[in-house]
Amino acid sequence: MPQVWNATKTPQVLSFAFFSTMLAFAGAATAQLPEPHQKDGRIGYVLTERHWAIHETEASTECPQGMNTRGSRDLFAQQFPEDSDVERTVVDTRLMIEAYQYHTNTATTDIYDSLPYYEAQGNVSYGLNLDGEVNADDFMNSAGEEGIDNQLYRALGCIAGYRKDGQYWFFENAFMINNGSNRWMIELSGVDDLVNDDDVTVTTYRGLDNLLTDATGVGFSAGGTQRVDARWGQSFVEEVKGKIVDGVLTTEPIAQAKIPWSQPGVSDGYHIFKDLQFQFKLTSQVAQGLMGGYVDIEQYNHRFRTSWSSHHQNYGQSSSGSEYTALKRLADAYPDPETGANTAISGAVEMTLTQVYIVHPDE
Amino acid sequence: MSLDMGRSTPRFKQCFTSAFHRAVMGLLALCALTGCSPSDPEPTSSGTQLLTKLITAEQYSNSLAYIFGPSIDTQVQFTPIVRNEGLLANSLATAGVSVGQVQTIQGIAATVASQVMDIEQRQYLVACRPESIDGPDEACATQFVSKVGRLLFRRALIDDEIAVFVEQASAAAEELAGEELNGEELDGFYAGLEVVLEGLLIHPEVLFIIESAEPDPSNPEQLRLDGYSLASRLSFFLWNASPDDELLAAAESGELLTRDGIERAVDRMLESPRLVDGMRAFFDDMFVFNEIKTLVKDATIYPGFTTVTALDAQEQTLRTIIDHTLNKDKDYRDLFTSRSTFMSPALAIVYGVPAQPGWASYTFAEDSPRAGLLTQVSFLALTSHPGRSSVTLRGMALREQFLCQTVPQPPPGIDFSVLTNPDANYPTQRQRVAAHLETPSCAGCHRITDPIGLSLEQFDGAGGYRLTENEATIDATGALDGFEFDGAIGLGEALRQNPELPRCLVQRVYSYATGGPPEIEARPTLNYFNEEFAAQGYQLRNLLRTIVLSKAFSLIQNSPSEERLLAAASSD
Repeated sequence: MPQVWNATKTPQVLSFAFFSTMLAFAGAATAQLPEPHQKDGRIGYVLTERHWAIHETEASTECPQGMNTRGSRDLFAQQFPEDSDVERTVVDTRLMIEAYQYHTNTATTDIYDSLPYYEAQGNVSYGLNLDGEVNADDFMNSAGEEGIDNQLYRALGCIAGYRKDGQYWFFENAFMINNGSNRWMIELSGVDDLVNDDDVTVTTYRGLDNLLTDATGVGFSAGGTQRVDARWGQSFVEEVKGKIVDGVLTTEPIAQAKIPWSQPGVSDGYHIFKDLQFQFKLTSQVAQGLMGGYVDIEQYNHRFRTSWSSHHQNYGQSSSGSEYTALKRLADAYPDPETGANTAISGAVEMTLTQVYIVHPDE
Repeated sequence: MSLDMGRSTPRFKQCFTSAFHRAVMGLLALCALTGCSPSDPEPTSSGTQLLTKLITAEQYSNSLAYIFGPSIDTQVQFTPIVRNEGLLANSLATAGVSVGQVQTIQGIAATVASQVMDIEQRQYLVACRPESIDGPDEACATQFVSKVGRLLFRRALIDDEIAVFVEQASAAAEELAGEELNGEELDGFYAGLEVVLEGLLIHPEVLFIIESAEPDPSNPEQLRLDGYSLASRLSFFLWNASPDDELLAAAESGELLTRDGIERAVDRMLESPRLVDGMRAFFDDMFVFNEIKTLVKDATIYPGFTTVTALDAQEQTLRTIIDHTLNKDKDYRDLFTSRSTFMSPALAIVYGVPAQPGWASYTFAEDSPRAGLLTQVSFLALTSHPGRSSVTLRGMALREQFLCQTVPQPPPGIDFSVLTNPDANYPTQRQRVAAHLETPSCAGCHRITDPIGLSLEQFDGAGGYRLTENEATIDATGALDGFEFDGAIGLGEALRQNPELPRCLVQRVYSYATGGPPEIEARPTLNYFNEEFAAQGYQLRNLLRTIVLSKAFSLIQNSPSEERLLAAASSD
């Protein structure tokens, strides 16, 4: 798959022009401070909010048939109707469904075949143009930029758990905030100007410290400190070149990156993104925007199934088996050399990162 | 508060009389060693008042921690008292205990007694073993009451007192043996001791530091603190806790009343790590840190300032002071220009600097706008309003806290709307407070406060650094007693050079040590302390030594009631 470094200014980027003007003033002010957040050409940010990029409309027009109803309760009712008068065993019923939820593979028949699976409809979504192309199945973002790659949204966009205030939407973010294993940071170095700089380096790290909430109790304070996890976090360290245009950071693709995504007390999970790119609006306080890439489906499936139990999936009318099948069906990158089946699916994550001082082991 | 011999306990009379005789016998020897020497540079002093002071919650807690160890939970809070001439400590001699407070303290005492007599703790907190745990054991109870009572009362208990407490323990042991509490059968002996210990912990002689006096052998017409009272005054001042066993032994033997003896005791106390507790308590009082507990900032204006920030700000300043004055024995005045401090993660947000977890030493860069205590968050945030800085509060605090000056309260009927109403024509504090100077009734005081506060205007109400206010550049020029400067660094330098800065510390330390504001007659003594402080490089430890070894520290003024004491002692 050809990978193109998208150097063209997109409409979305252009829409930040006004914002960047404000940044210019802010940057001028902070640059005069003796100990600015941006020091020695470096500025760090720690992840403080994270959700899969799911485009939602008020009327849910992207899901005209409604939400998927594929929780284990739904499946049970479908497979084992109460009026069938058939005597059943636990092995043949509950454990069979559990096995499907947690051990589905490509050779397993989707036992939900008799239930419809609703994919998100339409051609509008958030995300990044990962391949530099505009293809028929791509989306257009709200700023009018075409070629947005986010098939993961098409696969999961009509599952309640992934939508705003759904259990995955809420808890995966809450667990990111409260679990030190999920502390993830980016550090920009070689920054001459936080508004326009055509050559900066972006390095990702896993951090070691708690996030600092502000006095309101719901926000996060810029100016905290994070130590780099140099012992157990080496596999999360990646470095890539980027540039800042009108206050928006974009980066070249990272061939493959691990992003911590663990479930406290359950798993120490992570996701693998291929051709990972960032697009963040920057201020001296916050970096906000999207991370996009091709999500490794097997790792996605493994993390999901080792993180979310049956009852959680059921709350969201979700089924890991069905999701796995949908992700495989809509996968759009990295074909298996032997089977030709794609192994990764384009996706994006909405992120807010708050400025921190990143302390390296040698500091 | 003075003591009247007629209302004193038999123990007091007994001690007083024997001390008087000892004192007279040793008069000549002591005279040569103390104030009779013509070369003694300390001016003649009549001393301070004999006081009965309420123990502070921290002193109570520290004392129990010394007696019973740190594993005993002694969460104690007493009712706040009123600040008097710069210190809360100056009000302890006029503070009482209400019925409600007694109930609260009794609750604490019951908890502490219960912990001490817990089956595991008592193994080492009650040194002896009763013959039977099911009933009274007078020998063991006597041993416990004598030992613990001495440390709690800060004097040896006389036999009659011990007998009363042991009798109570025995009666309670018999009554409570076999009774059930929370489903468990009580061990009579320890249940009896627990009752007595609870009573000891709320005894007036524990909750109040009752000083007593005796004639000074070098001048029988002059009173001085007796050995136990001198031990308490030393210990509560230097360690913020009751005297330890060694100090009480020195008081008991009379050694503490000799020149060599008190020097040995003082030097030991000044070298002890417990000096840090004492000086933290003193500076906590002097820097008005009792207000930190209630310090609140508007979360929408200063979202980075939390209750943790406030507590860390207090801790930062105290760590800075202790490190500077005791660990490094540096010039007190340099605290107002030094760039060395300590940093925590919560504070680092306000300072805009990186921080290691926990507390770590930190030095502000040479080009940093921060140097000295005036640029620390504790001072800046405490002297601001919840949503904005205050040039007046900052100027007033500097004068009152560090120069011991008194700034009058504003006259009644002042219209503050000029200061608080947002007006685009007055974007900065400098422009808004200019109104102060246009009003004759305000100008007198604000001329001495506002030029100080204006030089700190580059720090907002939470202590964060800023260059602009309402998009207007802040002019941080200011003045202090004839010195003009630009910004907080200049203010710190000006304050450091101000001769009133060390004089004020001397006054505060002396007040804190002796329990009340110095009287006008104490001026020569304070001048002497100031000279000594300067000659010794403004080192705090030397100042403490000078003060506690001075005659003024231990002599007691001959007020009418004390005159009666002297007369009664002479006639015995």
